[in-house]
Amino acid sequence: MIEIINPGWFSIVVDSGRYGYADVGIPASAALDHFSYSMANYLVGNEMDGPVLEVTGSGFSLKFDVDVTCAVTGAEVIAYLDDRSVMPWRSFTARAGNTLRVKEVLEGFRYYIGFSGVMEADRVINSFSTNIECRFGGYRGRPLLKGDRIELNSARIIGERFIPEDVLPSLSPPYILRILEGPEMGRFTEDTVAGLIEGGAQSWYTVSAKVNRTGIRLEGNPLVFKKGVDTTIISEGILPGTIQVPGDGLPIITLYERTIGGYARLALVAKADHDLLAHLKPKDKVIFTIIGVEEAERLWNRKIEHFYRALPQ
Amino acid sequence: MEFSRYGEDGVRIVFGDTIDLEVNKLIRKYYFFLKALGLKEVIDIIPSFTSCLIRFDRRRISFSDFLLLLKDKAKDIDTVRVPEPRSHEIPVRYGGEYGPDMKFVCSYAGLTEAEVVEIHASTIYTVFAVGFLPGFPYMGILDKRIYAPRLETPRLKVPEGSVGLAQLQTGIYPFESPAGWRIIGKTDVCLFDNKKKPHSLFRIGDTVRFVAT
Repeated sequence: MIEIINPGWFSIVVDSGRYGYADVGIPASAALDHFSYSMANYLVGNEMDGPVLEVTGSGFSLKFDVDVTCAVTGAEVIAYLDDRSVMPWRSFTARAGNTLRVKEVLEGFRYYIGFSGVMEADRVINSFSTNIECRFGGYRGRPLLKGDRIELNSARIIGERFIPEDVLPSLSPPYILRILEGPEMGRFTEDTVAGLIEGGAQSWYTVSAKVNRTGIRLEGNPLVFKKGVDTTIISEGILPGTIQVPGDGLPIITLYERTIGGYARLALVAKADHDLLAHLKPKDKVIFTIIGVEEAERLWNRKIEHFYRALPQ
Repeated sequence: MEFSRYGEDGVRIVFGDTIDLEVNKLIRKYYFFLKALGLKEVIDIIPSFTSCLIRFDRRRISFSDFLLLLKDKAKDIDTVRVPEPRSHEIPVRYGGEYGPDMKFVCSYAGLTEAEVVEIHASTIYTVFAVGFLPGFPYMGILDKRIYAPRLETPRLKVPEGSVGLAQLQTGIYPFESPAGWRIIGKTDVCLFDNKKKPHSLFRIGDTVRFVAT
């Protein structure tokens, strides 16, 4: 069992997501940084799609009452097991009575903690991921609180594993987000679109304080709609990474909690950059740059190769 | 049917460009057809007012091959029997503490509360899409006489079961959630159950009648 001593700003149980029911509005609620999430599972010898903790913010700590292999991935953190420093991206053994403490987050925003064995969490509609708004899945359908105790079934100790440094994500703003044309890009002025293609000053945005698992609101130069066009659409399906633009011209990057949107869909963040979205925190700078879909496919393939390069042959 | 690409792993099929019952029928038919095919390449289907958005498994198939597959299969659309729409009666307590925006809707429409209720409850609505929140039905078409704009600033919280309207649509919030629609009443009917199948009470094409209690 583990006991939450301090949940940080926000921590929940996640997995690779809930799929197949978007037709009735059930969102994926997936781990936001898929690479880091999967590696947290790999490092502790679990199935790659098992449940792990997704934590935002420093100060997180938990106490073990079993001996278990554990790993931290994702944001660059300074973490301690009692008074011993532990390396992220490398599994380590925790003993009953130890406390894991994340003292600081240096770069990035969200990190993942995996444990060898099976975390006892609610599997609802084929997924352990927490749907916070609907209060189901994960740990009682809600974020973790101080004093929560999570059972670890078949907790065990495995040999040390690590992820080679050259495949680790580089997390330092400004983040360049490559984007693809969305269905309503034509509703924006040519200057607005040209600004995004050239990666000029127009394409710089700042992450606002409104950041959560549903979406990321950006601040900066408002994107300009052509005269006389509708700024809303008849509500329609969206996929994760869709960039919607409400009437005020400030983009919102939609994440994994919505299946339908009602604002103009300017663009989509390329798949290869989806994991980065987990790490956009208030005040970070982002730069948009438009790419074509073939380029996006190529980048995605490279990302997948990268993923497998992280694992031993 | 107009096919286009939506990012790396999405296909968007547009059936029309207005809120229209005939378009809804076409989308509904296509949605049930595609669901019945049970293609392993399909991860999710999101039918809505004017389109079906399909997320496909790019590890299994390329976009161009998937598009060919969809177009080829579409020839068989009439071979699948589409289930009849279900019809639902939803009891609603209108106004008062249950409908904080009822007064606004009345004054915007220049009607009494009894008239607004009578108009809202006498229309048979069609479910055009289910989403935003799991189980939330986007329903239309609202009688023009009770048209009301969305809230300028959405409420941070409305209770589960709140019945709202916005422009020519009406809907029910399955969970306590933020809401930008005008809330005129509340129902106790459970719209979404993660433990029971089907999880959502409503599906695209279902019809709904509200009954004032």
